[in-house]
Amino acid sequence: MAAASPAAAPSGAQQPSLTFTRPVFAKLSPHPYLLRTLSPDSPGQQPTRNNGRSPHQSRPIQINTSSLSQAHGSSLVRTGDTTVICGVRGELLPVTAIPQFRPHNGTLYDQDENDEERARKELRDYDLLVPNIEMATGCAPQFLPGVPPTTLAQTLSTRVYSLLHGAGVVDGRGLRVWYTPEKGGREGSGMEVEGEEGEQEEEEEQKPEVVAYWVLYIDLLFVSFDGNPFDAAWAAVLAALRDTELPVARWDPDREMVVCRKGGDKKLGIRGLPVACSAAVFLEKEHAEVGGGEGNRHWILLDPDRSEEGLCKEVVTVVVDCSEGETRVRSIEKQGGTVIGRELIRGFIGVAEGRWREVKEAMGN
Amino acid sequence: MTVTTAPEAALGVLPRADGSAKYSHAGYTVTASVNGPIEAQRRDEHPYEAHVDVIVRPAAGVGSTRERHLESILQSSLTQIILVKNFPRSLIQIVLQVEDTPENDYVNTKLVQASLNFAIMPALFQTAVLALLSAGVPMRATATATAVAIVPQDGTKTSVVDPSPRDAEIAQSVHVLAFTSHDELLLAESEGDFTVKEWDDVYETAKQVCCRPVPAKEGMEMVLDDEHTNGPDLRHFLRSTMEQKVASDLHWK
Repeated sequence: MAAASPAAAPSGAQQPSLTFTRPVFAKLSPHPYLLRTLSPDSPGQQPTRNNGRSPHQSRPIQINTSSLSQAHGSSLVRTGDTTVICGVRGELLPVTAIPQFRPHNGTLYDQDENDEERARKELRDYDLLVPNIEMATGCAPQFLPGVPPTTLAQTLSTRVYSLLHGAGVVDGRGLRVWYTPEKGGREGSGMEVEGEEGEQEEEEEQKPEVVAYWVLYIDLLFVSFDGNPFDAAWAAVLAALRDTELPVARWDPDREMVVCRKGGDKKLGIRGLPVACSAAVFLEKEHAEVGGGEGNRHWILLDPDRSEEGLCKEVVTVVVDCSEGETRVRSIEKQGGTVIGRELIRGFIGVAEGRWREVKEAMGN
Repeated sequence: MTVTTAPEAALGVLPRADGSAKYSHAGYTVTASVNGPIEAQRRDEHPYEAHVDVIVRPAAGVGSTRERHLESILQSSLTQIILVKNFPRSLIQIVLQVEDTPENDYVNTKLVQASLNFAIMPALFQTAVLALLSAGVPMRATATATAVAIVPQDGTKTSVVDPSPRDAEIAQSVHVLAFTSHDELLLAESEGDFTVKEWDDVYETAKQVCCRPVPAKEGMEMVLDDEHTNGPDLRHFLRSTMEQKVASDLHWK
């Protein structure tokens, strides 16, 4: 765009000119403008997008963690002009406050697979992960002040919630607060809540039990919005969860409440490193019959920005995890068109693997 | 465990709507009404095409973030098959009321659930397409959708078409795929843990359910049905439902 300014500002600055600058033209007629830059006249030229990137180039990602002092874990993720802040805060939920609580008969050192599966079910049943997304007023022109959450924000939070559970990112075992009753006379006061069970267990050996859970409130705030919100939001959630340290909590039988100790915070257990990668499909003929197939060229634009998202209908998001060697796919979302078929999705998973390495590097380990 | 019943549908069940349909399959019953093209609100008006408005109402309670997400998926897919360019500045409204969902004794059922329920997507999709056909909204293609789950069973993985809630819960991954009548992939949503190879298998299974070639003559039908036994033949179902409706409407002639 800088190259255009000399041409647009003719020598006689006072004289009104009939030629438009590139930004003005891009604003007036965005679709033909993007089409022109993507299909250059000479064959030697590489197709580029308005933002200077090639179709398969994503914006570099920057991740900063632990920037919020009051949260248990936080991150700031920036890709291009999309900036998201994520804060994770743990709150204690006593089991007596859960309406449909089913005490489980695992033990503290139960490390088998069943226990892992059970912990995953607990996360879902007791809603121990609460993501919320807010699009700040002014982060992009389409977000107006004083309105209820937009469809975009609601859709994003559903997607983040589903992926958190579907990919099993958080190890639910780390969210349990255990209590092992001591042998001796103090039992009565400690077990008042579940009297029957206490009496039964007094004869046998004292079993440890879960007295409370940590609930993780995951709040996301878009500081600046320039397209591709899901990738940035998910990277922020993941970075913040990896940064999360919860205080050591224990049950105090005398006061009958959970108390936390200062210092000695424990890292939250995180499984894998799923990374989201999105693209949009740009069609040559904006108002033509969609899916006519022949004669309507298309470009797949990786990591679209806000202006490109406005011009594309078909979007695809793939979440991959290559941390175990073999590529595991955690989620595929494709909607809004018929250009991307089976082959393109397969190819796109390869592109997502490349993105995974970039994000892994940005995460720092 | 799985309720394997053939899909059932009725068209034109609501007298005042432009078009309506009731569809039940795999334990889900959905009623849809379609009104359109009608006047669009100023903020929804598009100078070149019709705005498609999809509203999903759950069986119990009010719609939450999950329904908003379902609506946005349906909206973007249906916009592709409706000839929206024919009706600039107007609105096509599709209301989907979920009437019945399969019960699940194994799970703590909460009234408000934030997580996605992929198993309901095919029922919503199919009902919407039937209601659009009933309303006579011009479309460039029809579409069919199906859900497939990969369930671990005795050490091996089997793919289950139209999973029950129990299947969906223990499944490693759940997929929803929709195809147009030109065999193009219109919608693909997957969650869980799977490899590219598994996704390919799911794609094949779903394509077989959604895109089985419609038999040219009635006599051929029996032969084809014997060959494929996995899942219902949705495209043929869509066609025969419409044929029945047209035949009964023209009965007086």
